[in-house]
Amino acid sequence: MGTLVASRAPLGRQLRSELRWIVRRPRTVIGLSALCLVPVLAGIGLWFAVDGDGAAGPGLAAIVSGNGLVLPIFTLFLALPLLLPLVGAIWAADGLAGESQHGTLRGLLISPVGRLRLLAIKSFGVATMTLFAVTLIAFVGAIVGAVLFGGQGLLTLSGNTLPFLDALGRILLTIVLVTIQVWGVAAIALAISACTEHPLVVMAATMAGVIVSGVLGLFSALDWLQPYLITSGWNGLIDVMRDPLPTEQLWNSTALAGCYILIGLSLAAMRLATKDS
Amino acid sequence: MNRRRVTVAAAAVGVIAGAAGLGVLAMPAGAGPAPVLPDVSAESLVESVLTAEPAAFGGAVEVSNDLGIPGIAGLPQLSDGESKLRMWTDGGGRVRVQLPARDAERTFVDDGQTGWLWNSADQTVTKLPHGQVAEPKLDLDPEGQRSAPPDPVSLSREVVDRIKEFSDVSVDGTARVAGRSVYELVLTPKPTERTVLREVRVAVDSELRLPLRLAVLTNGTDHPAVQVGFTELNVGPQDAGLFAFTPPPGAKVEVPEVGGPTEEEKALAQGALAEAKPETHGEGWDVVLTAKVPTDALAGLAEGQRSGREWEGRDNPENVDVQGLLKQLGKQVSGPWGSGTLITTKVGGVLLADDGRVALGAVPEQVLTEAIAKVK
Repeated sequence: MGTLVASRAPLGRQLRSELRWIVRRPRTVIGLSALCLVPVLAGIGLWFAVDGDGAAGPGLAAIVSGNGLVLPIFTLFLALPLLLPLVGAIWAADGLAGESQHGTLRGLLISPVGRLRLLAIKSFGVATMTLFAVTLIAFVGAIVGAVLFGGQGLLTLSGNTLPFLDALGRILLTIVLVTIQVWGVAAIALAISACTEHPLVVMAATMAGVIVSGVLGLFSALDWLQPYLITSGWNGLIDVMRDPLPTEQLWNSTALAGCYILIGLSLAAMRLATKDS
Repeated sequence: MNRRRVTVAAAAVGVIAGAAGLGVLAMPAGAGPAPVLPDVSAESLVESVLTAEPAAFGGAVEVSNDLGIPGIAGLPQLSDGESKLRMWTDGGGRVRVQLPARDAERTFVDDGQTGWLWNSADQTVTKLPHGQVAEPKLDLDPEGQRSAPPDPVSLSREVVDRIKEFSDVSVDGTARVAGRSVYELVLTPKPTERTVLREVRVAVDSELRLPLRLAVLTNGTDHPAVQVGFTELNVGPQDAGLFAFTPPPGAKVEVPEVGGPTEEEKALAQGALAEAKPETHGEGWDVVLTAKVPTDALAGLAEGQRSGREWEGRDNPENVDVQGLLKQLGKQVSGPWGSGTLITTKVGGVLLADDGRVALGAVPEQVLTEAIAKVK
């Protein structure tokens, strides 16, 4: 009777323990603090650039002067191509391959917790930490931006200024969209993570995948491949800075990331279900 | 054991569903079945387009360019590819157009009194008060506005007659463009016309009688050389806030000089024009425009223009080396008329003789050389 009760541990408690498990790793804390430096460094760099003549840079950097709330969005787009996929890959690598390396995955696999539930808990941990990291960057970015550049509301690329609440909405939208893209990468990383016991392999394979997709996007002969690559949707996310908001590309890239999440989690589930304990 | 098999099967379905989702996303959206619309004659369709009232709408336009011009550094717009723009109008002269670039945007707002041009790349606003300068015209229906003083119906009849003189006009069924039912109006050159164009297709909205898509097709391909069309269209009153523009606090606001080019530049341009003696040869589709460009005048004009632009403080593509560019674009040809460079695109060609004669038209090479031989 007692074992039956133990096997039905409440999901909430399992999720909490997974999060606690991640947060208690010193490298998580160090990594998150390092992520906070990104908006600070970007802000200081732009602050010096704004002092010179002309635009501070291409794209969003051009409208940053007197428009501090653009800094969180600028920083997120800056981190999206490499840094955030790396962050997602690290957590996905720790989740399964890391446990496997320390021999602790074995215990989890033979424990009375279902393997699908184990994958769900691991995915939840990765997803939550990704969302937290993205939100942290945006939050620090907003504060640094407000301090260095000030400004009321958010000047869009289209030339009109959104009031503060709308601006906040745009920042939240960017957080959600960027997080979903990182989830797409992390889901694939989780599938790799289920197949190996070396966390480094997971990170290297994921980053190689991201970089190769980016490089493939440069060849016009491979244009037919574009719609299948998750990285090809990332440039279109800048649409959040246009007004009125064009939703077509945003939906498209989010659906693309959704497909990657589905494929990655399914592959991970397939591998976990057939794994010998 | 059984449960494990179920899990694997479910996961396999998940992988397949995800892959199928990627395939669906990669597929271009279909236009849907052609709607059934009452028959309309080509003449009355053209007339209704020319006399249509401007309507309020907002939408997105896609321009796909397959002209076959080789890529030129500094002039990416001419190269093949697709570009998008978004536009709104209240039907009464107030217009907003946005040209999104990769990570920047240009916005043009005409609020009825003032035109505003915003460029996010350098945070500049160009203010163009009405009636002071020739502002960039963004008429949706230029014929409709121009026909206001004379009787629009008779004028449109005249236009139809002119078109029918050289072309066969027909309605080629119906289609869907941006979710709206359209008639496909096709203009085909008469067989006697010597042109490289095969047909021009205009998709006309069945209700608003607004052209929603224009495609130019050339001989030998099924794919349009140029296609401009709405991908999204919302008809109805638009948010009034779209037609207002306040320059953002940090932006530089420029009001261009009323005079535009200086007197000296104007004289130079006029002199060049008088010397150039532009002429047209032929009629209808195979009309060829010829001119004679004195090489020194061209160089002088380019010089003047360059300094003028710099003085205005605009950023423009780096000065183009004309001779080098021509060599890069065209091929060398010669004949009884002389020798020169021929630049061909899918929609026509330009022949530049070495002595400064120029012929331009939507015609094959032979017609160009015939025309240039007539230039003295």
